[in-house]
Amino acid sequence: MNKLRELNLKGHLLTAISYLIPIVCGAGFLIAIGMGFGGTSMDQLVPGEFSIWDALATMGGAGLGLLPVVIATGISYSIAGKPGIAPGFIIGLTANAIGAGFIGGILGGFLSGYLAISLIKYFKVPKWAKGLMPTLIIPFFTSLIGGLIMVYIIGAPIAAFTSLLTNALESLGSSSLLMFGGVVGLLSGIDYGGPINKTVFAFVLTLQAEGINGPITALQLVNTATPIGFGLAFFIAKVFRKNIYTPVETEALKSAVPMGFINIVEGVIPIVMNDIVRCLIATAVGGAAGGAVSMVLGADATVPFGGVLMLPTMTNPWTGVAALVVNILVTGFTLALIKKHKSEEELSLDTEDNEDDEEDIDLDDIKVM
Amino acid sequence: MKIVGVAACTVGIAHTYIAQEKMENAGKKAGHEIAIETQGTIGTENELSSQQIQEADIVIMAADVKIAGRERFEGKRIIQVPTEVAVKSPNKLIKKAEEVLKQKQAQ
Repeated sequence: MNKLRELNLKGHLLTAISYLIPIVCGAGFLIAIGMGFGGTSMDQLVPGEFSIWDALATMGGAGLGLLPVVIATGISYSIAGKPGIAPGFIIGLTANAIGAGFIGGILGGFLSGYLAISLIKYFKVPKWAKGLMPTLIIPFFTSLIGGLIMVYIIGAPIAAFTSLLTNALESLGSSSLLMFGGVVGLLSGIDYGGPINKTVFAFVLTLQAEGINGPITALQLVNTATPIGFGLAFFIAKVFRKNIYTPVETEALKSAVPMGFINIVEGVIPIVMNDIVRCLIATAVGGAAGGAVSMVLGADATVPFGGVLMLPTMTNPWTGVAALVVNILVTGFTLALIKKHKSEEELSLDTEDNEDDEEDIDLDDIKVM
Repeated sequence: MKIVGVAACTVGIAHTYIAQEKMENAGKKAGHEIAIETQGTIGTENELSSQQIQEADIVIMAADVKIAGRERFEGKRIIQVPTEVAVKSPNKLIKKAEEVLKQKQAQ
């Protein structure tokens, strides 16, 4: 287990995803706008035979087609540093060529990175040949070995697995969709943009790269709705003459809610920290409801980020709106209901960050060098 | 003591900056001099100068992703944690840094 931790597989994947997100967002909006106005994504833009919308859709399509390459390059770079970039590109493109798609890109990236770093470590050359290492030996041998493994060994099984997965998800009935959406929503809400959320994100992003937009839409709508739900709870509670937030928390809400609209859930963390269990219940219940509604109605944003900005990219934007409204209402009402009333006395106490309230640090999380 | 650090999360728009703020507040509260560099999606901000790094007693890295310019901290005492830890338990993290430094001095 310790060996596995040292490999830090998830860290490498997250590094690559951090490079990926801006590309998916940029390309996703381009293709959404282009196709929204009747353009199509073309293989080639022949002068005089395309409209501006075709151009936009093609730009977006080209960007999205790069995803396996970007993820492979990102992972490889994260593992091996600069020498990982070149073979990452080549093996990622190879994954594309053999139809292994995004999952192929992920595995190809690990393959490329570890091959490159083992070459750096174990392949000793005489001094005069040092210059050949980064220019020839690492890029050539890593790409050769990794590329051939991709083509002849892992490529075809991954392609088969990917199509199996996508077919299975596309043929889900509405009760399965309800379950699936509920689970995605629940998991994404439960740690407010933390590691569980990001792991689910990596999974649903994989699905989106394969053309299935529903799950990631559900996840991000939940992330969007949660802070807004916290805001709504303030007003619902007021109706019942209940104070559920301290002044400091109310202040935090003023930035958390607008941040929520553009998909940043983390703003509510300070509030959650003061009352973890109740906030978690409200978030999870609302997230499960919102996720389920989103999947059943078929909300399908083509971009994986953006909050309310995702709505126009959906085939039927109202589906996204419905999911958001349900999620916000459920979270808001639940929170207003179960959060304790704060008396005047409690309100006057400033809830400054206090060491005693903090969670203990898990020693496994700390690395000292 | 003097603390420098880097914060970097996956998406690079929220956790990174919350972690920075929390660590800086906690550090100042405990009476330390602290500067945290952020490596978000927008790029590096509040970049640490080589003098700051040289003078620092300890380096705290709150990062979920690969950090750019890691070689700058070569030879320094480094504590690395996920951003989550800095967000949730900044004061305890600073305390931990103090302990680590004490161990180092005892050696």
